[in-house]
Amino acid sequence: MSPLPSPYEAPESYDLVLDTFREDLGFWLDEARRARGPVLEVTCGTGRVLLHLLENGIDADGVDLFTPMLDRLRSKARSKGLEARAYAADMRDFTTPRRYGRVFIPFNGFAHCEAPEDQLACLRCCRDHLEPDGALVVDMSFPGARYWTGPEGIPVLEMEVPHPQTGRPVRMFDTRRKDRVGQWQHSVVEIVELGAEGQPDRVQRFETRQRWVYRFELELLFREAGFARCEILGSWERRPLENDTDQMLAFAWRT
Amino acid sequence: MPYETPYADPALYDVVYSKIQEDIPFYVSLAAAARGPVLEVGCGTGRVLIPSLQAGADIDGLDLDPGMLAHLQRKTRALGLEPRLVRGDMRDFTMPRRYGLVTLPFRTFMHMVTTDDQLRALRCMREHLEPGGSLAFNLFYPSFDSLLAHEGQRRLSIEVAHPENGGPVAVYDISRYDRVNQQVRVEREIVEGPEGAPTRMTRAGFLLRWTYRFEMELLLRAAGFLRWTFHGGFDRRPLEKDTDEMLVLAWKD
Repeated sequence: MSPLPSPYEAPESYDLVLDTFREDLGFWLDEARRARGPVLEVTCGTGRVLLHLLENGIDADGVDLFTPMLDRLRSKARSKGLEARAYAADMRDFTTPRRYGRVFIPFNGFAHCEAPEDQLACLRCCRDHLEPDGALVVDMSFPGARYWTGPEGIPVLEMEVPHPQTGRPVRMFDTRRKDRVGQWQHSVVEIVELGAEGQPDRVQRFETRQRWVYRFELELLFREAGFARCEILGSWERRPLENDTDQMLAFAWRT
Repeated sequence: MPYETPYADPALYDVVYSKIQEDIPFYVSLAAAARGPVLEVGCGTGRVLIPSLQAGADIDGLDLDPGMLAHLQRKTRALGLEPRLVRGDMRDFTMPRRYGLVTLPFRTFMHMVTTDDQLRALRCMREHLEPGGSLAFNLFYPSFDSLLAHEGQRRLSIEVAHPENGGPVAVYDISRYDRVNQQVRVEREIVEGPEGAPTRMTRAGFLLRWTYRFEMELLLRAAGFLRWTFHGGFDRRPLEKDTDEMLVLAWKD
C-alpha cells in the first residue's frame, strides 16, 4: 500500500475540520500581549492562531514546513486585509530576520519532532530567535495512561463540525497505532463530508505521526537546549499541571 | 500510622525477597567479566553482592542503610568473605578507588525521586568510573494498564515460605500513582503466619520514581555519559513494551 498524503498537503480539508478549534486562542493572544517585542509562531499552518493574533494587532510572524498551508494562510490573510509574514522552513532549522519576545509552538506542533536530536535542534533554533528576556511557549497534550490504553486500530470519531457552505456534517476519524515505549502514534486520518441523505459524499485519507513527551523529559530537553529556566502549566487557563489528562503549557525562558 | 522504611528489618527483607533471582546471573556475569574492580550501589544485604564475590569479582558495596550493611557483614563473615562495605548516599559518596563497572541492581535508582537527585547520583557514579568503565542498572517500566488497574487497591504482591519455620509470609501493597510526577507511593503490609492468625505484621512505606526511555537518555547525556544501550530484560532482549524491565548500560566515554 502506498503511503497516504500528509494532512498538511490538503489545507482546505484541514481547515474544514480544524480551523473551527478556538479554545486555545485566548491563551495565545494573552501570551502574545505579555511579550516585549514581536511574536513568532512555529508550525503556523493555515493561520488558525496566527491570523487571530494579527487581527488583534499583534506583530507576529510564522514558520511552517508546508507550502500549501502557507499559501492558504496568505490568501486568508489577504481576504481579511492583513499581511502575514510567513516563512517556509523546517522547525529544526529556520532563520528569520528578527528576534522575538515569544516563540510559540501551539497545538501539538512539537510532536512532529520525533528523535531527541530533532527535538533539541528545534528547541535550540527557537531559543536562538528569542530576545534575551524572551520565552518559548509549547503546547502539548500530556500522554496519559488513559490515552495509551485507549483504542487502537479502529476508526474513532474525533470531531464533527458543520460544513461552512452546506451546513452538512463533516466528520474526522482517527485510526491510531501507538508505541508506548517509543512514545509515538501513527494516525490514519479520514475526513468524511456527508451529503444531503447522510451518505459519505467525499472521503479523504491522510496519515501522520506524532511523538509525545512527558513532563520531566520536556524539562530536560529545555535544559539541554540551553534554556535558563522553565515552568509547565496544565491548561490554557493556566492551572497547574496535575493530571495526566491535562494539556501541557510549557514556558522556557532564554535567560 | 507511621510507616517504617522497608529496610528497618534486614532479616525480614531477606525473607521477602528470597525468591527474586532472575537478575542475579546478569549482574554476577557482568561483575565477573569487568575490567577493573566493581562497585555495587545499593548493595543492601548482599542478595547480588554475595554471589558476585563468590564468582570471584573484586566488588565493593555501598548502601545508605547501616542496618542493612551490618546484616550483610554478618553474612559475609560467616562465609569467610571480606568485601569493602561503605555507608553512603548514591548522590554524594567518595570511594578510595575507581571502578571498571558500577552496578545499581533491583530498581534502587528509583529512590531518586527528583530530576536533581537522579542527575547527582548519575554524575557521582560516573566520577567513580575508570576511563572505559560502565554503569549497569534496571528499573521497572511504567505499565499503563497496571497504573490504571491497581490504583489504590490492596493486593497480594509477594508470597513466600519462611526459610526457617516454613510458615507463610504474604506481602500486601497499596500503590498510589502520581502519573504526572512519575511517582508511586507504596504502603506495604507484611503478614507472617497463617491467614486469619498471623504471628506478626509489619508495615512499611516507600516512594519510587519511574523514568521513561527518552527521559533516561537525556539524564545520561546531562550526567556526562557518552554512550548507552537499553534492554527490555535480563536476557538482553530489546526494550519494546511498557511491561518490560528497563535495563540500562551506559559508558563513561
